[in-house]
Amino acid sequence: MASHGLTYDGCNFFRQRLVLSTLSGKHVKIKNIRSRDDEPGLRDFEASFIRLLDKVTNGSRIEINQTGTVLFYQPGLLYGGTIEHDCNTQRSIGYYLEALLMLGPFMKTPLKATLRGVTNDPTDPTVDLLKSTALPLLKKFGIDGEGLDIKVVKRGMAPGGGGEVVFTCPVRRTLKPVQLTEPGKIKRIRGVAYSVRVSPQMGNRIVESARGILNQFIPDIYIYTDHMKGASSGKSPGFGLTLVAETLNGSFLSAEISSTPQGQGEPVLPEDLARSCAKLLLEEVYRGGCVDSSNQSLALLLMTLGQQDVSKVLLGPLSPYTIEFLRHIRDFFQIMFKIEVQKPLEDERKGGDKVLMTCVGIGYSNISKAIK
Amino acid sequence: VRKHQHEEEEPGALRWKEGLQQKASEAFLRHQEAAPNLRKLVYGSVVEADDSEMEEEEELGGLFRVTRPQKSKKFQANAVDCSRFNPDTSHNWDLEEMLNSIRDCFVTGKWEDGQDAA
Repeated sequence: MASHGLTYDGCNFFRQRLVLSTLSGKHVKIKNIRSRDDEPGLRDFEASFIRLLDKVTNGSRIEINQTGTVLFYQPGLLYGGTIEHDCNTQRSIGYYLEALLMLGPFMKTPLKATLRGVTNDPTDPTVDLLKSTALPLLKKFGIDGEGLDIKVVKRGMAPGGGGEVVFTCPVRRTLKPVQLTEPGKIKRIRGVAYSVRVSPQMGNRIVESARGILNQFIPDIYIYTDHMKGASSGKSPGFGLTLVAETLNGSFLSAEISSTPQGQGEPVLPEDLARSCAKLLLEEVYRGGCVDSSNQSLALLLMTLGQQDVSKVLLGPLSPYTIEFLRHIRDFFQIMFKIEVQKPLEDERKGGDKVLMTCVGIGYSNISKAIK
Repeated sequence: VRKHQHEEEEPGALRWKEGLQQKASEAFLRHQEAAPNLRKLVYGSVVEADDSEMEEEEELGGLFRVTRPQKSKKFQANAVDCSRFNPDTSHNWDLEEMLNSIRDCFVTGKWEDGQDAA
């Protein structure tokens, strides 16, 4: 291994590699990025992501070859502060925000990021989902206080975008180790049915259909309708639904669907969308665990970077993305998790297999945090 | 085993008894494969795709070369970077049976002894 550097192939897991490189201080080289594609090299959204990374750090060195198929990244110090970024609309803000959520707590100064672009699209976790699941998760690790927030100022659907989101995150010197082994029973379901540049009635139609399925399980359901108008409604029409199930122990399981972007494929009916989304939530409940499938890697990262103490988290089945994340954590931090599968009991009606993840944190402390 | 089967092909013979041990061991192996060691799956050595193997080049008239990119490994390396975990399509949430499988995840379901307030 040449001076702590790591080399990877291909553009998959691009964000994981750059984020872990930044946190560990190890430089990274990514080769063969779409080298056999008709349009080789980095795409615009990846370039946009690199620029965002450059904004929150100080002294990063980024080298890209002429065709864009090789990227070299030498991380600088995580600086934070107030930044603004126009996120490329090929991917939604969630794509960029997922990385900022991982980096935010370790900045020198608290981060206040204004991100502009697509707030909701069918590919990535939307800002609404991250707001309702990732933030409570950060709180469990001791990253809390008034400063932690994701605010949707303007909504912008794919493909046009035009949305605006403000993410603020306080900094911590150390993280608390966690013991999240008992998810607890689901006490309520909340949700947001959003719609822009379509009839405000869409929201109500979504709520009605989603309730039809979920009411079989629990009466405490409230789905907000969020209809933004005028300047805060972005450039494209669309609607969607985010559902979150909250348990007695403060775990959040979520599911969501956004309408097909204008001019891309078959349009969907709000009723169909709501029913599919409700079923996705049931699927997520079946998977279970204390952290939902879209936040598995965030939880595992915060466990890795915790104090030198044992952390345990019960997860549902590991997603392919998370499995790759675990491998990357091993590459960058030399941490391997203890992975135990828990099978459900014979007469239990609590969904499928669960996975108990255990690790000892590396005792990462944020030395660049400013002392006041 | 096969020879054994031919001999017993008489009417009325109990043929389900044949090869019971073999069937049992096959079922056991199937089960073993279905529940893989997760640690090995995550941290086990990944077989790296060989670059030379990827290029299956053919020459056309001595001028052009046809490259056939193999879809398996390189395709994955350049797949879309997305954290979404797509759901298991084998679950049909219209069935009462599936709905019942998660009933106790909700406060309205059955509680464990000792946790029940009643």
